[in-house]
Amino acid sequence: MDKLERLLNLTAALLHAETPLTAEDLRERVGGYPDGKATFRRAFERDKDDLRSMGMPLRVEPVPGVDPPVDGYRLDRDEYAGIELAFEAEELAALHLATNLVRLDGGDAGLVKLGAAGAAAPTDSVGNVPFSDALATMIGAAADRQAVSFTYNDTERVVEPWKLSFTRGHWYLSGFDRLREGERLYRVDRIDGGVSLVGPATEPVGDVTEPIDLRGWELGDGPAVDATIVVDADQAAYARHILGEVADRPDGSVTATLEVRNVDAFRSFVLSFLEHAEILEPAELRDDFVAWLEAQR
Amino acid sequence: MNARLNARDRLARLLSVIPWVADHPDGVAIDDVVERFAYPRNQLLDDLQDVLFFVGVYPFTPDSLIEVDVSDDRVSIRYAEWFARPLRLSSEEGARLLTAGRSVLAMTDTGDDDDAASPLLRALTKLGTALGEGAERAVDVRLGTAPADTLGVLRNALARGVQVDLEYYSYGRDELSERRVEPAKVFSDQGNWYLSGWCHRADGERVFRVDRIRAAVATDVPVERDEPSVDGSFTPSNDDPRVTLRLRPAARWVVEQYPVEAVDDDGDTITVTMAVSARAWLERLLLRLGPDATVVDADAALGDDLARSAADRILARYR
Repeated sequence: MDKLERLLNLTAALLHAETPLTAEDLRERVGGYPDGKATFRRAFERDKDDLRSMGMPLRVEPVPGVDPPVDGYRLDRDEYAGIELAFEAEELAALHLATNLVRLDGGDAGLVKLGAAGAAAPTDSVGNVPFSDALATMIGAAADRQAVSFTYNDTERVVEPWKLSFTRGHWYLSGFDRLREGERLYRVDRIDGGVSLVGPATEPVGDVTEPIDLRGWELGDGPAVDATIVVDADQAAYARHILGEVADRPDGSVTATLEVRNVDAFRSFVLSFLEHAEILEPAELRDDFVAWLEAQR
Repeated sequence: MNARLNARDRLARLLSVIPWVADHPDGVAIDDVVERFAYPRNQLLDDLQDVLFFVGVYPFTPDSLIEVDVSDDRVSIRYAEWFARPLRLSSEEGARLLTAGRSVLAMTDTGDDDDAASPLLRALTKLGTALGEGAERAVDVRLGTAPADTLGVLRNALARGVQVDLEYYSYGRDELSERRVEPAKVFSDQGNWYLSGWCHRADGERVFRVDRIRAAVATDVPVERDEPSVDGSFTPSNDDPRVTLRLRPAARWVVEQYPVEAVDDDGDTITVTMAVSARAWLERLLLRLGPDATVVDADAALGDDLARSAADRILARYR
């Protein structure tokens, strides 16, 4: 029997079942499984993984009236179908166009499920946004108010995601950190390994800073130090663009005050102007910068 | 569309195809299914006739099987009550669609409220209700910090098919230049906006970062070249000088962020060779890395004392 036929029959059997079916029941009712006990078990586990990975809400429940207790499986039809979305043709076309205009790393299986895979002519993409399964999990968790766990800076964190923001080329997660009992911010690409769901969120969603305009030197755990830099006239427009608020000086150069929590990132930023910028104050940051450069001579 | 789909991909499609076709008592055109569900035609026909025909529930008597009828390029499906409704979107699939949609809204944001009626916004609202109460604020996408008026000038020039005059700051070379460019495409990649097109000054196709364009003025001169082939990525030229660096583990991000040609990673240090399109770029990189990078070898064209001479120029300001 073709694997597709087996998976279809398995899905039908699970949707048809009024009470949970054991693995043995399913083996009999679905057919197409290998004979040996161990090989059947492996094939059955793979099939379950396939169904779950497609988003099927497979229920695992004790089979009623059996002693000793045995786990059984079924699919609840309402859970399986979820809320009916009832997209109109032009809405599907708009979603289709959106996924063509903006390429997310990875696939877009969702369009196929909606039957919108070919609803509009292919378009040249005008945007690329990095994307990952971990990100999709966290966005889903933020939408559905679930908590997630992941490793960050070698520490296991449990976070209730509020918002995932893509800005300046990076994804950021903001949310409530249960271990630290407060709002925290994470760079998604620095999450080590996978992200798993760990149950419903319990804290109310806080005020996410709007807009999240993060700059590397503001991302740090230390106290903030105000630093003033000057940028020469020939790079003033660029500095104004990056920093937003700058003060003009008569010679065309500009000064700006930055809130520095991360000295390494601040130094890298000032270095990006090469000899066209200078740290005016405070003395500690100026000295740190000079010492860094002296070490490279 | 030509690649064969695996069993899981075909299952995902069929679970949507079945209810959709069953919803049309008179059947639907095979071609419609092929297009809507991105289902290669031959494979669809095989799956409908050789697989779906035998699908049902125990005890698989004729009355417990799905009825599939394929004829005259049409298909109809009956008695598929278990598959009466399609499988819902998974939360990951929903998240992807939501993100793509929000990105497009961010791209086309015009600042007025007329968009409230747009099909995309309506679709995203519906999608949000299925994903959960937090969906409204779950994703925020900013595609780049390009000034809206510059983007406006470029898009307008692109639409009119005219050349533009740019005042451009080349970050790699650390210099300001004036250029006549024939715009081919305006796009956003990894959080930055870019313009690609034929540059008269360079006499070649070039990609410009929009946030480094100081001024853009559309001319009335029509574009002469209309076969753009530039994509957004930086492709090292064979003529560019090469540098070989030894990196400490803390500088591993260099390998991930820049195109490197040879990587030798012994777990302790990483040795990489990269093309250097402009000296200023390498100077910044070395100064930033400090003790985490050592120059092992550099083409003569790059000169000696790369980091040192740049450090001296900067330090001159502090004496």
